[in-house]
Amino acid sequence: MLALIYFLILGVIAVGGALCVLLSKHPLYGALSLVVTMLSLAGIYGLLGSPFVGVVQVMVYAGAIMMLLTFVIMVLNGARDNRTPRFDKISLFVIPAIILMALMLSFLILRTPLVFNPDTARGTVSLTAATLFDTSASGPGYFLLFEAIGLLLLSAMATAVILAKKKLGSPETSDSEEVH
Amino acid sequence: MIPLWLIPLFPLVGTLILAVISISSSTSKKGANEGLVGGIAVLFPALAFLMVLLLSFGLPDAGYRETLCTWFDIQAIRADFGFLFDGLSRTMLLFVTGIGTLITLYSTGYMHGDRGFARFFAYINLFLFSMIMLVLSDSLPLTFLGWEGVGLCSYLLIGFWNSDLKNCKAANKAFIVNRVGDLGFLLGMLALVSVGGISLLSYPELAAWLVNPAMGEQLMAGMPLLTLAGLLFFFGCTGKSAQIPLLTWLPDAMAGPTPVSALIHAATMVTSGVYLLARLSSLYAILPEVLMVITFVGLATAFWAAITGLLQNDIKKVLAYSTISQLGYMFMAVGVVAFDVSIFHVFTHAFFKAALFLGAGAVIHALSGEQDMRKMGGMLKKTPLTALVMIFGWLAIIGFPGFAGFWSKDMILEKLYVSDPVSGPILYGLALLTAVITAVYMTRLMILTFLGKYRGDASAECHIHEAPASMLIPMLILSVGSAFAGFLWAGLIPGAEIFREWLAPVLSTAQTMALGGVHEGAPVSPWIFAGLGTAAALIGIAIAWKLYSGNVPAPKDDTVPKGKAADWTFFFDKFHNICGIQETRLVAWFLDVVVNRFIMLLQWFVGAIAIILSDGVRTFQVRKIRLQMGFSILGMILVIVFVALYGGSL
Amino acid sequence: MELQPVYIQILALILFALGIAVTLSRRNVFFVLMGIELALNAVNLSLVGFAKTLPAMTSITGQIIPLFTIGVAAAEACVGLAVVILIFRSQDSVDIDTYSNMKG
Repeated sequence: MLALIYFLILGVIAVGGALCVLLSKHPLYGALSLVVTMLSLAGIYGLLGSPFVGVVQVMVYAGAIMMLLTFVIMVLNGARDNRTPRFDKISLFVIPAIILMALMLSFLILRTPLVFNPDTARGTVSLTAATLFDTSASGPGYFLLFEAIGLLLLSAMATAVILAKKKLGSPETSDSEEVH
Repeated sequence: MIPLWLIPLFPLVGTLILAVISISSSTSKKGANEGLVGGIAVLFPALAFLMVLLLSFGLPDAGYRETLCTWFDIQAIRADFGFLFDGLSRTMLLFVTGIGTLITLYSTGYMHGDRGFARFFAYINLFLFSMIMLVLSDSLPLTFLGWEGVGLCSYLLIGFWNSDLKNCKAANKAFIVNRVGDLGFLLGMLALVSVGGISLLSYPELAAWLVNPAMGEQLMAGMPLLTLAGLLFFFGCTGKSAQIPLLTWLPDAMAGPTPVSALIHAATMVTSGVYLLARLSSLYAILPEVLMVITFVGLATAFWAAITGLLQNDIKKVLAYSTISQLGYMFMAVGVVAFDVSIFHVFTHAFFKAALFLGAGAVIHALSGEQDMRKMGGMLKKTPLTALVMIFGWLAIIGFPGFAGFWSKDMILEKLYVSDPVSGPILYGLALLTAVITAVYMTRLMILTFLGKYRGDASAECHIHEAPASMLIPMLILSVGSAFAGFLWAGLIPGAEIFREWLAPVLSTAQTMALGGVHEGAPVSPWIFAGLGTAAALIGIAIAWKLYSGNVPAPKDDTVPKGKAADWTFFFDKFHNICGIQETRLVAWFLDVVVNRFIMLLQWFVGAIAIILSDGVRTFQVRKIRLQMGFSILGMILVIVFVALYGGSL
Repeated sequence: MELQPVYIQILALILFALGIAVTLSRRNVFFVLMGIELALNAVNLSLVGFAKTLPAMTSITGQIIPLFTIGVAAAEACVGLAVVILIFRSQDSVDIDTYSNMKG
């Protein structure tokens, strides 16, 4: 009972944040709303017995990714094109399509019987660590995937540096002082 | 034992060698060496003649039969390359190869200086090959091969001087009219097959099937089809042998060189129709109605052509109509089941008609190309040897006693008389009248050409010369033939019936089967027939002398007959025009205008569909990525609906 | 009334739909990236929700995968923003409709 109330509150906050992302004019407002949504989702993760995931969500998603996004918005002055309309003809076509798709998927979901299993493991740090790294009795862990993610992050970092790098002596270095 | 396939092989090899020579010399200025080409061209037909001669001694009654290989063998039909050398084919081959060699020798002189010398002899050898295949084969499909081959060579040779459009049109006409007849041949083969199966297409099997008493019921049941087959084969023969209604090509075929007219349109190709009927003699013996049709058509053709010959001014056209008329006589003989007499007339006709044509060719050669008889005259003194040849031929064709035509034509008339108590004498009378007219126009030809004063251009007069030796020797041999060939079956002389004995093994069964009770001897003495025939010839000579030995009016224009003569001459051309050519033109116009446009409309339609569809699809390629993703979501919805409805299984 | 797993899935669906709606209907490039992040989050929620319906041995999977998804989202956000900066240098606009070279 209590879980349901907590869930409802957090759910409403999440949906509200998402709606604000959809309807806001300034990208910074949208980014902040997104952070709110992510924090409420972290709460729901904790409610569902996966506290580790919730904390990781707060640390990485809300803490790093959204910070990066906010940083880039501020650097590139994302609100410069305020004359861009929020919604135009295409969204008039796209949004009903999405609503239709959501309705159909919900129809499919509602027909599936789902029950909480009382034996679910609680995702504590130790259990998560054991699952990720322990390659012995309880089966091979997700060790390989873990390392692969590390490589992926490394390559993404290198890609970002190379892509956005300004060449020394190129014209862009000289006119970066231009005021917009 | 000499293999039979050597006989057609020699002219075929000659064709190939000469074709190679002709093509390789086609770019040079003067053409190939005439001596070499002429030598090769005469050598191969002579070799074939030699083979035939060697094989004809000691020929057994049933003849030699040889199968070379299988031609095609599919489920529905099977045909072999098979050869049959019996009395009938021996007779035909002897004069085909013999006269072929002589005319080839003549052509080496006639075509001297012509740029297409090698090409001419390649075609001549190809023609001899086809004719030998036609005569030597033992089954109808292979005969058809030769039949088509001679038609092709006729086209090639008539249109030999193909820079003149008139010659090309004449060649086309010959080929197309022949083709219409070939349809009859093919349908006749089909009818035979549907009566008794594939084996009937082979001559010995056909003859055995027709006389076999065990096949009586099947025969009765298949009578309508057999009658149809008989009529269809005869239709094919009217095309090849220029009878009514398919005779319009033969006069036009005179546009080719004279040796071609002599070889193809006098001696060999046009007689292949008669040969076919003789081969199928056992079939025709049981079809009395078809025989009646044949007799009637033969008589009508002979009479019509005789009158037309009287109206012509071109020397070669007179001889062409004369050929048609004599072929009518041969068909009349076939119609009264006198196949051997018909083949005898083919034999003698080959000699004297070839002699006449070669002589006419020599006259034309001497006058540097003049063919209008009204511009000739007095050639007797200027070219005596040519005149001698033509006189022999003339005497033979009008039936002067002792010459070849006398024996064969009188025998035909006699057979006509005894064929039927009622209609026999009527047929005899009409044929005798035709003989009188024959004598009239042939005498007219001789008078206009050889007697009197020379009426042509004075400038050509000094060039008149006798023909060279290469032309004279064949002519003289043929004239000897036309004088003495008749004695091979001189009905009035007892014991002189060698020719009939040659043909008896092949044709006698059919003849005895058909004639049955009618006995051979006529109620009237054969001397009376001989006398009447001679009288007809003499009357004709007298009439022609009276009419034409006077002054000949100077010709104003070309040789084509005018006025009423033109109506008579071109009667069958007009008939063809109304019956076939206008309809074909209409169909062609229809196809060109209506069907063509319809097909273009269909093509446009297909193209339009493609354009509309692609334009429609093109609207889904949008500039904005967001819209494209929106379309993707719609597509996904469709997939989800589909999966949900059918549970994932199609 | 207890908390049912279906509720979690419905919430995930709503968030996913909102995320895609943001992506496809806004013209500002940052909103597009934000929408993608929102959608990824919704997927994570759905996975964790399903993990709770499974017994112990297999349910741990549903809690490991979100970790990897978050890692991948981080990498993708990094590269995506680098690309945005790159495009921004040449086009000088944050309106994604002007980024397209396609015809038609």
